[in-house]
Amino acid sequence: MKTCWKTACSVASIGLVLGGASFAQDYAGETLVVGTWGGDIERLLREHAAGPLEEATGAKVEFLLGGSGDRMAKLYAEKSNPTMDVTFQNIYEAPQALSDGLVVAPDESSEIYGDLWEGMNDGCYAMSLVGLGIAYNRDLVSEPVEWADMWNPDYKGMIAMAPYPSSEGDGLLGVAARLEGTDEHDPDVAFAKVAELGAPALNYTSLDEVFALMDAGEVAMAPMISGYVLAALKEWDNIGFSFPTDPGPVLVRDMVCQVANSPNPELAKMFIKLALSPATQEAYAEELLFGPTNSKAELSEEAAADTVNTPEEVASLLQLDWPYVISQRADWTDRWNREVLGQ
Amino acid sequence: MKRPGPKHYLLAPGVLLVSCVFLAPFLLLVVLSFWTQPEGTLLVEPSLTVENYLRIFSDPYYLRGLARTIWLSFATVFFSLLLGFPAAYWIVRRAVRLRRIVMALMLLPMVCGALLPTLGLVNILSPLGIINGSLKQLGLIDRSIPLLGTQTGILIGLIQAFLPLMVLPLVAVMERLPLALEEAAMSLGARPPQVWWRVVMPLAAPGIVAGSVLVFCAALTSFVTPQILGQGKIATFAAMTWQQASLVLDWPFASALAMVMLLIMAALACMVLGFRRLNWVRP
Repeated sequence: MKTCWKTACSVASIGLVLGGASFAQDYAGETLVVGTWGGDIERLLREHAAGPLEEATGAKVEFLLGGSGDRMAKLYAEKSNPTMDVTFQNIYEAPQALSDGLVVAPDESSEIYGDLWEGMNDGCYAMSLVGLGIAYNRDLVSEPVEWADMWNPDYKGMIAMAPYPSSEGDGLLGVAARLEGTDEHDPDVAFAKVAELGAPALNYTSLDEVFALMDAGEVAMAPMISGYVLAALKEWDNIGFSFPTDPGPVLVRDMVCQVANSPNPELAKMFIKLALSPATQEAYAEELLFGPTNSKAELSEEAAADTVNTPEEVASLLQLDWPYVISQRADWTDRWNREVLGQ
Repeated sequence: MKRPGPKHYLLAPGVLLVSCVFLAPFLLLVVLSFWTQPEGTLLVEPSLTVENYLRIFSDPYYLRGLARTIWLSFATVFFSLLLGFPAAYWIVRRAVRLRRIVMALMLLPMVCGALLPTLGLVNILSPLGIINGSLKQLGLIDRSIPLLGTQTGILIGLIQAFLPLMVLPLVAVMERLPLALEEAAMSLGARPPQVWWRVVMPLAAPGIVAGSVLVFCAALTSFVTPQILGQGKIATFAAMTWQQASLVLDWPFASALAMVMLLIMAALACMVLGFRRLNWVRP
């Protein structure tokens, strides 16, 4: 019943979001291609952005599902003749795509730009806010859990990490550098500190994989991104998630980008507007615990407690110099392979 | 010189297809491997350079990766031969009624693709898998023994995946060996090991060479099995190529890595052709 009501509200609000029904059926026969992640994200986008857009315009929305790296590869491969209109990328990818001219810069004069929190739209529009914190086994690690605990010799070889390159890996390097009194601009210190952790117990590619090993006591801690993790943790009693304070969690953002020279730029803009609308952002926060970037989004108390959703919270998070981090990507991947994985 | 007649035009659709879907991308890959990616961009600059190749052959990390991959490939060939030769002999000489069933079972890993058997192995080798679980239940260990993310784990997966490539050529060759040859050797006083070593093995040499080349090339370029069983901890050359192409998006360098792998296989093919010319592997 709640879902039906929400859908009805979404459909009702579509007219307002898209600025009336003046273009209804104008785009019949057109297909908007949106590249994004599968699962819940696709479901929510289909429900709150694609469905209403199709209804209002007569166009068809086709989702291209996969990892953001695949989409980056597609953007570059198709740079002279793109087939995607909208793509969802990570913060460590979007600024690079903009500087290479593959995506359209966010329109600062647009209404939706004004609704999004200041300083978040690097390269593309910021879609959601999450923090890199620590997932941990409650039986093995005593609370409150701080970053420095990962370097406790008792847990050597019991730390799981995401494969590099990734937001998680860059975030961990930024944290390691700060623990040593410097920042990510000093990669020698950052890599030396991360290398002290030893080879990871697991290079995780899925949440289930890391939680199963954490539950069994094979993995003690893992730097992980809130959102999905917090939503999934409700099924695991002995696994906790910490937003550390010294330094704070690393701010990570998912971005939504309009592909440059795409076949359907107008539909792309409409889709992005819907994706960034309070309705979609609220659904992201309530169901996935992804913090909204739209300042007009209103959250329940429960969702507000588990998401990054106020300018003050954003300010308390650690922000990396992403353009610099991105420029180091190739070199740092080599270093991660050698110094962290010991290959 | 005979001019191509109309029947040769029947080759045209196949040649066209191969040209479009294989040769054209391949040539692009060759050219791309000599291009560069300037700093600060992921776009490719079409200026010819051998920088990518110099990087591969001057960087110990990539040389170690290459050596590791070649070693794993040779080890896969060795163990596949060790397991595959008796299996092929048994299929040809002994498995009269069971032959079709055994051959079907042998082909199964190839038919169902690399992913399914590899994921099955993950369930056996993982920290929560059958081996570690049994050892824990028996109280023999407290914490799991790492089997995934090791070269041994990858080797087990590669042997399992590519054993059919060894067995099938061996079966094809052994089928054509008259049993009378072995019986003649026995009647002249040769003991079974001598029959194997001095009669069966030399006559099966073409099958051994064909199987070894197939297994070596498959293991050298294998990506799914080492990636899943290596858990991202053991970098093979194919995994390094994938990382550069899909994650770092340095396509010129990834192309150069792929070309090096291809050159190794080409060198191997030339060696085999050379052996054939010298008549080393003919029955």
